[in-house]
Amino acid sequence: MQYLALIYGDENGWQQLGPDDRNAVMEEYHTFSREGQEARVITGGSELDATSTATTVRVRGDETLVTDGPFAELKETLGGYFVLECDSIDEACSWAAKIPAASHGAIEVRPVNVDEGKPS
Amino acid sequence: MKYVALLTNLQEDIDRWAMMTPKEAQAVRAEEVPKWEALFGELGPTGALGAGFELDSPSTAKTVRVRGGETLVTDGPFAETKEQIGGVMELECEDLDQAIAIAARIPVVFRASVELRPVIER
Repeated sequence: MQYLALIYGDENGWQQLGPDDRNAVMEEYHTFSREGQEARVITGGSELDATSTATTVRVRGDETLVTDGPFAELKETLGGYFVLECDSIDEACSWAAKIPAASHGAIEVRPVNVDEGKPS
Repeated sequence: MKYVALLTNLQEDIDRWAMMTPKEAQAVRAEEVPKWEALFGELGPTGALGAGFELDSPSTAKTVRVRGGETLVTDGPFAETKEQIGGVMELECEDLDQAIAIAARIPVVFRASVELRPVIER
């Protein structure tokens, strides 16, 4: 089964970190990533740029409405995700707990549907 | 440039789908299929579409926090919002305008939204 681990954290806190602290956090992510890849659990993922760079698109009638910023304003924001291949959601949660942001933010674990198309 | 498109659904629609019989849900899905096929058919050959993930409904989510060495797992999504992420598509685009043009054709965009975020490549 495939799961997405959506990583939520305080992006202002991240932006306020000095270069050494940022490098230390990046090193924790590299360690997690290496461990997950060696275990063949992590199969993908992306690090997202700050929500200040987000663009949200909606179409209403024939009109395309483009707004700056994320679709929802949250105190802790989505900063990226890992794609996890696990036998169960419990196993995915135990991997999620190892993601560095789990210790100050939160990781939302969601099963991936194999069927294509919407709605889901 | 790489972008991630976060596909959202209205929570009220998600609630409505959950109340449907499998047959009704199938019928709603079937209506959307041609739109998805058109999108994939047209954009597939351009190389703009990377990996995509359709997520199970937010009610199936678990949220994990670690505090003081203890792992806390709660049922449900991280946040209760009017729109909820229902899928993720990775895009390879020339620029934001191209990403917006693609987003404007993703079927969820007509009722909910598509959030585009640049990907940081290290």
